[in-house]
Amino acid sequence: MRDLIVNRPVFILLTAFFCVVLSIIYMPILVMIIFSFNSGRYQTLPFREPTFEWYVNLVADSSFVDSFFTSLFMASLASLAATALGFFAAYAFSKAKIPFYSLFFGLILSPLVIPIILIGIGMRLQIVSVGIEPALWLVLVGQTLYVLPLAVINLKNRIDKIPKSIEEAGISLGSSKLHLIVFILVPICAPTIFATILLTFTFSFDEFVIAYFLTNFEITLPIKIWTSLVTGFEPKINAAGSAVFLFSLILGFIAQFILLFKQSEKQNGIEPREM
Amino acid sequence: MIFLSLTTETGFGVNNFIYFFSTPYLTQALFRSLILASVSTLIAGVISWPLAYFVVFCVKEKWRPLFLLAILAPFWTSFTIRAFSWQLVLSDNGVISWLIEKATGSSVALGILYTMNASIFGLALFGSMLCTFTLYGALVSIDKKLVEAASTLGARPYQIFRDIILPLGLPGWLAGIVLSFIVCIGDYAVPTLLGGGLKPVLAQIMLSILKGTYDLSQAATIATILAVTVIICASPLLFFRLFKRRRASA
Repeated sequence: MRDLIVNRPVFILLTAFFCVVLSIIYMPILVMIIFSFNSGRYQTLPFREPTFEWYVNLVADSSFVDSFFTSLFMASLASLAATALGFFAAYAFSKAKIPFYSLFFGLILSPLVIPIILIGIGMRLQIVSVGIEPALWLVLVGQTLYVLPLAVINLKNRIDKIPKSIEEAGISLGSSKLHLIVFILVPICAPTIFATILLTFTFSFDEFVIAYFLTNFEITLPIKIWTSLVTGFEPKINAAGSAVFLFSLILGFIAQFILLFKQSEKQNGIEPREM
Repeated sequence: MIFLSLTTETGFGVNNFIYFFSTPYLTQALFRSLILASVSTLIAGVISWPLAYFVVFCVKEKWRPLFLLAILAPFWTSFTIRAFSWQLVLSDNGVISWLIEKATGSSVALGILYTMNASIFGLALFGSMLCTFTLYGALVSIDKKLVEAASTLGARPYQIFRDIILPLGLPGWLAGIVLSFIVCIGDYAVPTLLGGGLKPVLAQIMLSILKGTYDLSQAATIATILAVTVIICASPLLFFRLFKRRRASA
């Protein structure tokens, strides 16, 4: 089919364009990683001798380490909560007949199409007008809601592909609804569930605005990085940036890999239903 | 919840809005937000076509997700860090100006960092990932048989593009455009780190109000105005999509 759509010169042009864009996307990140090993105090070339100094500084800086663990903790809880809630929401949207289906589905997905800064401000104004003090658990709630649409979309796509006959078979063999979900649907969706947890984890781990607006003193890693960037540059930010970037890159890559590759294959001998 | 809080905070009267529109600093910021978001989105939209085209039509089916991931990967890593990494490259003593200096022997001040152009550049790159992703979804689902049939009937690649791929890819592309516009207009990191703080956009002002002067009703006003702007700008495109779908199903 390729030859029908793209002739040779166009093919070369497109390939070249793709490579150029790809290198533009990754160049600054590579530069940052290289600089994180540069022993010079200032971020200028030429490159001095390599050093691990900034990474050592980073690990020794307790405020960075603390914020890392705060983020880790928050992102784990938020991703688990969002995936669990998302699974049931996706199941309901996929199988049950819901009145005003598109309205509710649109509402669940709406955080995707609202600028996140508006979500953050809205939440902040909300808690202030109700009289709650900004705190870490609010961030947890906020981030769970923020990543929920991702979980719902991914899981709904998967559940949609499970043929109805499987559920019917289970029910006619005497399994209860709960038994059905726990022992049949969850195992079938296991790779997707795993990928969804990873994906929501990375999004919540890197999330800045909600955490920034809903806390006063507790600090997550993105906030720490942001404040140290705005208040004045230190070379260890390069190290922190590189580490965080690689961390979320790898997690996200695994998640997307499962979603894009595994999902299209047959799973557990179940043919994907023609959509 | 979000909208409730916005309306109650500003519901005391229109004074806040009068203040907003009579303050040149704020109206300029709104204007700047709009220009920044639309130009970046436009560039992103243009870039996304060849990118998605390459991934869908030039790559073997098996490898498509891998190439798509290569483009998308930075998307789910921290916004802030990526904006910052561009600082290293674009600044007056950054990598690019160093390379130019090495090549030409004379030192040049690049003068890109902390300008609107730098912001546009950063946001366009980000938006193009979104657009490519949604466009990819649309292009991948194009039925091969359509293309084969057209080609058997003597259609040239350009005709196939114009009559099959373009109309079928358009809905996905438009969704990407809307998403990218929304992300661009609400972004604070790129305008702060690449565009500098002297000519702030609305998102930056909101951020500084909430953490600085703490004038909540003013923040709510700005947020409401931004929300209305987004709705106004996004609605024609959404209507277009709806209209298209109606016509397709009729």
